[in-house]
Amino acid sequence: MSRVVFHAVKMEYERNKSLGVAPVIPHGPIIVADWHRCPDSKEYFTKIFQKKRRKTFGLLEAPAMPPQIHVDTVRYKIFLAGKSGVGKTALAARLGGSDIPNMHYETTGIETTAVFWPVKLKENGRVLFFKYLFWDCGENALRRFDHLLPSCKEQVDAILFLFSFTDHGSFEDLSNQISRVTDPSDRIVKLVVGTKFDLFMHTDVTEREIASFQETWGLPVFRVGGDVNGGLGEVAPLLNALAEHLWHQDCVAASCVPPSSQV
Amino acid sequence: MLQAEGVQLLCLTASSGVPLFSRGSTKQLPFSVIGSLNGVHMFGGGQGALLSCCETDRGARVVWRVFRDSVMLIAVSSGGDSTVTELQLCRLLENTWNCMVLVLGQEELSNVRNVERLKRDLRSCYRLIDQLLDPGDDESVMGYLTNCADCLLPPNPSLLQEALDAFTQAADSEFGCLLIRGRVAVATEKWWRLVSQEVVLLSLLVRCMSGTTSCDYPVFLPVGSPTVAHRLLRFQLLQGVDVCTLCGPAPSLHHAKTELVGRFWSPLMETLHGLLAQTQHTPVPSIALHPDILALLLINRETSRSLSVPGRPPAVTPQDGVPPLPSSSRRWELLRLFYTFAITRYFTSGEAAAPPAEPLQEDFSQGFCHTPLHCYLVTEECKCYGLQTPQHQLFLLAALTMPTFALRSIATQTLTSITAATGF
Repeated sequence: MSRVVFHAVKMEYERNKSLGVAPVIPHGPIIVADWHRCPDSKEYFTKIFQKKRRKTFGLLEAPAMPPQIHVDTVRYKIFLAGKSGVGKTALAARLGGSDIPNMHYETTGIETTAVFWPVKLKENGRVLFFKYLFWDCGENALRRFDHLLPSCKEQVDAILFLFSFTDHGSFEDLSNQISRVTDPSDRIVKLVVGTKFDLFMHTDVTEREIASFQETWGLPVFRVGGDVNGGLGEVAPLLNALAEHLWHQDCVAASCVPPSSQV
Repeated sequence: MLQAEGVQLLCLTASSGVPLFSRGSTKQLPFSVIGSLNGVHMFGGGQGALLSCCETDRGARVVWRVFRDSVMLIAVSSGGDSTVTELQLCRLLENTWNCMVLVLGQEELSNVRNVERLKRDLRSCYRLIDQLLDPGDDESVMGYLTNCADCLLPPNPSLLQEALDAFTQAADSEFGCLLIRGRVAVATEKWWRLVSQEVVLLSLLVRCMSGTTSCDYPVFLPVGSPTVAHRLLRFQLLQGVDVCTLCGPAPSLHHAKTELVGRFWSPLMETLHGLLAQTQHTPVPSIALHPDILALLLINRETSRSLSVPGRPPAVTPQDGVPPLPSSSRRWELLRLFYTFAITRYFTSGEAAAPPAEPLQEDFSQGFCHTPLHCYLVTEECKCYGLQTPQHQLFLLAALTMPTFALRSIATQTLTSITAATGF
């Protein structure tokens, strides 16, 4: 899927080259942070809402912009990995703005959730729709059926590793998960998400442990949890961070700069 | 619905009576009661008697059934004001077992080696089982009771059928189905050759996943393939429109989604949008019902398909002197009760959908030497009329204002007009 983006970036790169502009891999933030709070984002963000709730988009659907505004859509496949019960399905629902199931049910196969997210690039003010496809697969199903994991990894652009703040085992399992689903040579965006952060009374994972994990693996850790009121504030940091990392990765790939330049 | 009426479902190992799970009513039965329910069944078994159903004088019911000598399912309804029939409970047990096979496969359920592991694995069936107990707000879905696939008749099926056939073929499969709001709009020939319970369950599974965009689920077909899993690929084209196929190892979900869905379905987007709008209130947009019909259920007995069609919506302000019409959810409840009443008392002969264990009540229909073709019932809330032909069964609910003598001709005309117009 990232090939589409790759193509888009590459075209821009080619155009820049023909104009005599040197390719630039931006340092620092690439996208406008907290853009959903800016007034100029309103006309884009209203398109992902319907009757004050986030709209669910079928595969044939996309946010409908007025004809005079052209917005490119870039698609990414993101795999949610983590121990059974950490809240992979709930995270997908939360990011997609749909109701979080009030009971935990095991996911008995792969389920994907599409999330459209408008993003404004800092450099040229261009607006893009990021279409994230979150792939969620129950751990028990992964174990019972061999074909599911390869399918989740096929052409994946990013992996979110989940652990739950209420389950220390799921935190310890992270390194297993990381080595099981990724290869050091992969050019895949990797982020870690701690779920159920609102249940701090029962928290099982200390800040010190997280800090040492971040140091060892060099992966950013995000915290989610708590009641959902459908507002964007609770999902924006993670969705923006994903956009930032994915876009950076594509810029790197398009201009063939060695992947050492970190964001 | 069943959940609201206090139905509890228990699952135990058949040989040792170890509880595996319990779903349904929030007030769980005490362990001692569960033990006794198992004990009384086992006692009967020791005496060479099969205990399958009992009823208390306060209307509570218990239904037992053992599957493949390994798992016992017990359904308990608490009685009181609720009216859960034996047929509903029997169907619930059958469907629950089928859900368990669908997710876990027959092998794992028949040869229990490790009870603790089975208990854990059974958790993955809860979502489907809970959906059976409480199908949510779409109460016109009747498949759980009738064992017939809930259908919808699109006005222009050939266009959709062509697209579906081509899409299914491209996905290396012969089994494909297009669902609109959880009802089958078109399906490939092979899909219709699946046993009707399987079609009902697969539709149920798709309804469970309404929030997601696509899925790749391993499924065992309870009758067709209980030991080898297939892959159910399902794609949400628009909100309320799903297409599914049953596949082998190929194609991958990623490939099907990126390459096939757009190619075959994008050209039909307008058609699908139109279809969603047309079928918002009725699964048969091409038919206008008599204004006094409250709701009807039409079953094609040969193809095991059903249509549940709502009638005129209840008036917002009740008029003086006219008894208020039942609410739409009450209509579906009445229709389910009338269906159960008719199917267990009158339309029993050659009835493929009869409960598996012979009903233990005195067989009402055996008092007759003929097969009833029509039946009617007048209650305080509505009038009901049922009729059957070799090919169809029609169950119709009419307002009290309809004269009783007119029921027969209205029902007959309705059947003729629907079948003539749609070929259902």
